[in-house]
Amino acid sequence: MRQRRAEHWKISLISGFALLCGIVFCVAGASLLSGYSPSEQDAAARLVPPSREHPMGTDAFGRDVLSRTLYGGRTTLISTTVVLTVALLTGITVGLLTGINHDTVIDVVFMRLIDVLMSFPFIILAMVVIALFGASLLHLLAVVAAVWWVPFARLTRSIVLQKKSDTAVEAARVLGAKTSAIAIRELLPKVVAPVLIQATFELGNLVLSISALSFLGLGAQPPTPEWGSMLADGRAHFFESPHVLMGPAIFMIATVLALNMIGEGLRDWLDPFEIIRM
Amino acid sequence: MKNRDVMLSVSGLRVSYFQNRKKSNILNGISFDLKRGELLTVLGESGSGKSTIAKAITGLLPPSARLSGEMSIDDETALSLSDATASDWRSIRGKKVAMIFQDARQSLNPAVKIKRQFAEMLVYHRLGSREGVTKIILETLKALHFNDPERVLDSYPFQLSGGMCQRVCIAMSICLQPLLLIADEPTSALDTVSQREVLALLEEIKRGFGQSILFITHDIAVASAVSDRVVVLNKGSITEAETPERLFSNPKHSYTKSLIDARNFPCIHQDRPAPALAAPVLQIRDLGKCFSPDTPVLKNVNISLYQREILGILGQSGCGKSTLSRCIVGLEKAQRGEILYDGMNVLGLRGRRRRELCKHIQLIFQDARASLNPGYTAMQIVLEPLRYLKIVPARQRQELARSYLGEVGIDGDTQNRRPPQLSTGQCQRVAIARALIVKPDALICDEAVSALDMSLQGQILELLLRLHERFGFGILMISHDIRVLRSFCHRIAVMQAGEFCEICGGGSELKESTHPYTQLLLSCEKELEESYYSKINLMAD
Repeated sequence: MRQRRAEHWKISLISGFALLCGIVFCVAGASLLSGYSPSEQDAAARLVPPSREHPMGTDAFGRDVLSRTLYGGRTTLISTTVVLTVALLTGITVGLLTGINHDTVIDVVFMRLIDVLMSFPFIILAMVVIALFGASLLHLLAVVAAVWWVPFARLTRSIVLQKKSDTAVEAARVLGAKTSAIAIRELLPKVVAPVLIQATFELGNLVLSISALSFLGLGAQPPTPEWGSMLADGRAHFFESPHVLMGPAIFMIATVLALNMIGEGLRDWLDPFEIIRM
Repeated sequence: MKNRDVMLSVSGLRVSYFQNRKKSNILNGISFDLKRGELLTVLGESGSGKSTIAKAITGLLPPSARLSGEMSIDDETALSLSDATASDWRSIRGKKVAMIFQDARQSLNPAVKIKRQFAEMLVYHRLGSREGVTKIILETLKALHFNDPERVLDSYPFQLSGGMCQRVCIAMSICLQPLLLIADEPTSALDTVSQREVLALLEEIKRGFGQSILFITHDIAVASAVSDRVVVLNKGSITEAETPERLFSNPKHSYTKSLIDARNFPCIHQDRPAPALAAPVLQIRDLGKCFSPDTPVLKNVNISLYQREILGILGQSGCGKSTLSRCIVGLEKAQRGEILYDGMNVLGLRGRRRRELCKHIQLIFQDARASLNPGYTAMQIVLEPLRYLKIVPARQRQELARSYLGEVGIDGDTQNRRPPQLSTGQCQRVAIARALIVKPDALICDEAVSALDMSLQGQILELLLRLHERFGFGILMISHDIRVLRSFCHRIAVMQAGEFCEICGGGSELKESTHPYTQLLLSCEKELEESYYSKINLMAD
């Protein structure tokens, strides 16, 4: 029984990593795998079904779907990574800050801000911001990052609240550690593993959300390829030539699957509850 | 081979774990019989595998454990431990075997009153109907001489003392009328007064109910006081099995001898003069602290710790002695009074000035392992305070840390191990080195040896004493253990319900105290000691 569980996380983690590496490799080596430029239009070859020249066919403007998918992956993957990094750093910092200064003004202010962000529909917020500042990928990423730190902050804060009365943390205080030293040397190591595990799950969500907003036309603007906006463009021709949607859809599903598998594997391996209790 | 007198028979019990493909044996083929109505004690130090025995015969070991051997309860067919199924264990637990643990409060549900927990258990085991169950409970508690059973039943576990919780647990398990009661270190977490009550209760159920009891302990005095027979366990093997009289008066095995020797602590009163009580390091005046308005933890605490003095604070659990130590180092805020270090009030200091105080007052925690960051090596841990307080130039820190670790007996490769790879004693040594490296004037030891085995207690106390003579800091020794304080302290302050009721000298002076509370604490200790020494001295007579 125990043995089988141990195998389970290994399979999940390794295959997830392999899949993600494959995707990253394809996206990074886009120019090698596809002979076409992502924005090169060929009026003679519109909505061509998959063939030898175009393995995934072409879209309504005669652009190669494969190369657009691969180049679009760059936009999507890089922007999610950037957003996640910003969100992680902000979330952990806010979580440590509020957890350590529990029940002070800082804590109350941040927690109420988090309440507001949690209760505000994310898509509506994005639309308002885009309406005010104009549609661009950068604005979109800024909005996503401004919202996405919340789950990390809450998780970090709850761990800190639980851990800060630990004997080891109190011992550090007695030894003369500054609050910042306690945060970094004693509390941060206990926060990292659970937060990273949550981050892998959130990353999958993030890919979907950024694509969803691009699908609504709030993100990457044409002709920049992006999975979400490609889906939006292909929607009109879905019934006569469904191949237009295939590329981004397959890659998006594969990415989210890979990330969730990694998250699942990490969680079983590191068992956050085990870590929190430690 | 059937024997009507034998209640529990265990033969060839082996338990091992596989970790990183390495096999580690916990028990190497243990065999023993527990007779009907007998109290059999398993005596051993931590890590000897004594709790593993209790878990093995109740099927509570984790699935990663490999076990073999046989056991039979009440003369039934022998059960092979390696093939026992979940339903086998269910038929054993509760009905045939009941178990009580070290921390009784944790085994009770904190959100439910005792009466309901008691009743639920009886109804579940079909020992009473919902209506009639209260009567059964009250009768049991009265039979067991509980004072005021109604109040106990109407309380939540957190409203009762640890000792009372343990007695409730014992009463609950007795109600099930088990064939065998296993008590796993039931008194180790208790102070002497509660310990006496729990031991008396066990004695009572053995006599009154003819209950067979398997008692597990590391305390040789407790073992001598209660048991009919003692099994000494060392590193997973039984070294000796004897009646306490014969075992302690005439130990055959060298391990048993070493256990008996370990009870003799280093005593500071033999050849060393007491320090002059001239210059106080710490003065505590009218200190008051409460967690909620109507329950004061500390009321008007007045005491001074002098240079080179070892001052003991003695009290039962819950009397506020730990809170006092936490107030001194600034982990808790006191509401009233003052704590003077070097004439300056340090109460309520914050920021840089509080950290400055850390150079002068240091604290050692009860659970040394928990007080060390598991991610750092012993070396890094000892470097920590130097880095925080910037006492010595960075270049000399390594050298200083190495010398302090050497001083406490952590040498060579051990300095690069992390707390999970260190033994409990080594962890406490590292904690001592870490506290002393800042050269404090006062060292507060909050139950620093209470969780350790006798032999380790002796070693740590000896180490503290040696360092104390060498560096001359004052020690504030907080403990519920009279023996430790009596042999180790120059003066002992007795604390009762948040106040000092008496301050007297250590050593034999403590015995002459006339204060009723001190007398109560002493009498509990004396009973145990007398029963122990009476057995030790049998041979001499």
